[in-house]
Amino acid sequence: MAENFEQHSDISAADLARLSQEAQAEATPSTAKIIWSEFKADRPAMVALFIIVGFIAFVMVGALFINTPKMMETNIMAYFNQPFTPEFWLGADSGGRSVAKQLIVGSRNSIGIAIGLTIVSSTFGICWGLISGYFNGYIDWGMQRVYDFMMMLPMTMMIIVLVTIIPHYNSVTLTFIFSIFYWEGTSRLIRSRTLAESEKDYVAASRTSGTSHWKIIFREIMPNISSLIIVDCTLSFAENIGVETGLSYLGFGLPSQTPSLGTMISNANDPNNITQYWWTWLPAALEIIILCLAISYVGQVLRRAADASQRQGAAD
Amino acid sequence: MSLIEIKDLKVHYPIRTGFWNRITDSVRAVDGITFNIEAGETYGLVGESGSGKSTTGKSVVGLEKVTSGSILYKGQDITKADNRRKLDYNRDVQMIFQDSLSSLNPRKRIEDIIAEPLRNFEHLSKDDEKLRVLQLLDIVGLDADALYKYPHQFSGGQRQRIGVARAVATNPKLIIADEPVSALDLSVQAQVLNFMKKIQREFGISYLFISHDLGVVRHMCNNIAIMNRGRLVEIGTRDDIYNHPLHIYTKRLLAAIPETNVNQREAHRASRLAVEKVYQEQQSKYYDDDGEAYPLVQITKTHAVALPQALAQQLATQEGEVQA
Ligand SMILES: Nc1ncnc2c1ncn2[C@@H]1O[C@H](COP(=O)(O)OP(=O)(O)OP(=O)(O)O)[C@@H](O)[C@H]1O
Ligand SMILES: [Mg+2]
Repeated sequence: MAENFEQHSDISAADLARLSQEAQAEATPSTAKIIWSEFKADRPAMVALFIIVGFIAFVMVGALFINTPKMMETNIMAYFNQPFTPEFWLGADSGGRSVAKQLIVGSRNSIGIAIGLTIVSSTFGICWGLISGYFNGYIDWGMQRVYDFMMMLPMTMMIIVLVTIIPHYNSVTLTFIFSIFYWEGTSRLIRSRTLAESEKDYVAASRTSGTSHWKIIFREIMPNISSLIIVDCTLSFAENIGVETGLSYLGFGLPSQTPSLGTMISNANDPNNITQYWWTWLPAALEIIILCLAISYVGQVLRRAADASQRQGAAD
Repeated sequence: MSLIEIKDLKVHYPIRTGFWNRITDSVRAVDGITFNIEAGETYGLVGESGSGKSTTGKSVVGLEKVTSGSILYKGQDITKADNRRKLDYNRDVQMIFQDSLSSLNPRKRIEDIIAEPLRNFEHLSKDDEKLRVLQLLDIVGLDADALYKYPHQFSGGQRQRIGVARAVATNPKLIIADEPVSALDLSVQAQVLNFMKKIQREFGISYLFISHDLGVVRHMCNNIAIMNRGRLVEIGTRDDIYNHPLHIYTKRLLAAIPETNVNQREAHRASRLAVEKVYQEQQSKYYDDDGEAYPLVQITKTHAVALPQALAQQLATQEGEVQA
């Protein structure tokens, strides 16, 4: 059969190297390059990206040098120590524990949970949505009933109940408990786009080209909704920082011996703390605001990079 | 034996309603059609929008779940997925899609798009595969630097060529061409059509050429089937259809071909209005009580029309056709 093509084309094996080199020179930039040039074109987003990456790296590494059980010991001598002193940069709380150190370990815990939660729940939600949307029919119907059932459950209450009945839990178990309830939004979003995408002819063309269903779902359709996935993941990440923080604030997140942004903000429950000892809660609150703002900024740039018509960077 | 034999093919889409999501009715997109495609020929399937042409085409490549009927290829019924797999059916039967942009994955480079069927069916070495892709690009008249570009960087005509290159990649026996040029402007249409013909000569491919435009079909097809509301209303050779049309629906399609000769525009317009008048007034004569087409009756060896026996005879004698 190869002869058949040989006969009707002047191109032979000898030209292969030259032609592929020529083609390489004309190649279009990759997605990563486009995203990068989009960041370079937008200063504030660049700053936001550095804040996020730098801060996460800092708390992840910094927390390794802090002995948490020792840090959490009560120290009467340092009761509500003022901030900006050589020993307590950001002061100390009612137990005489360093706010700065708690902030580092607490951020590590909260952000770690948020990252874990985003990875687990988004992966699950994306797969659920893709499969449900692609296969349509009975599979879709069944999967959507499961979705409806999950949506019916009062989320916060279920988490609180689970956390109360599970005797010993840590960041990892907590992440999985949260994940049970946080994949639905992503799955619905992905499903609706997959439904539309599956109707397109390139999917039909892949099927007549002999490509398997799984390959079509994850190698053909998924790249086409990658922009949606990236944007959804960044935004869920910002949202997920709030999830753990909120529950810990209410006292149902991490145990109080484990510092987190939520337990630190819950210092503000005490009216005295709000006015007099502002350093016990303000840094954590500011941190959350700045992080969430920075993340949504980055999300916007990613969205723009994904949508060719909105690009600001000189791509193409 | 014909290359493909389609027998009483039906594709109905269920309409589900109500709380229990029960099937209450169905859209009869294709409702019992029968025809054969011979090796090496171009078979035209013509009808207005919504008549079920694409559905027929998709059934033949195995994309559509068929309600009943059979499609025989090498003696096997390929409406069953098992048989398609056994035969490596899509290696032999490929499709060119109506919308060239949506038929090419925007996230894939041209190389990966054209190589897709090769990777699944032929398992060539990396270099052989790239060579084949370059040859295919050459055959459809595109430069080698298209290799690493993305579909949106090409014009409509170029994209349709890429679609053609992908369809011929495995050297198939039959290509379903679903309105391959209807999205292109006239000059590009001619280009793409000519070179589809060229490829047909060189590779001995058969086409099932789907179109709503009898003007285009005339240049491409030896045999033509006219489709109306999921049924075939007339089958015949090019001569039968263009010179001796019997069914009013066929006449109407023919009248809709634009007249290029300025001097005859008036006459053309008059005849089109006349046909339209007959179509409006004599519905009951040409369609049965439910407004559906009659079963086909044979007029000559090649020509069949969906009319009651008596009416068909009468019209055939008027047209001066010899009785088979
Ligand atoms: N997935 C589907 N579900 C329900 N109805 C459908 C579906 N696909 C097609 N139909 C219906 O089947 C009929 C035939 O559609 P088809 O796409 O085959 O028409 P067509 O002849 O190709 O028209 P066009 O020239 O516009 O492409 C139409 O009435 C359409 O509404
Ligand atoms: Mg169509």
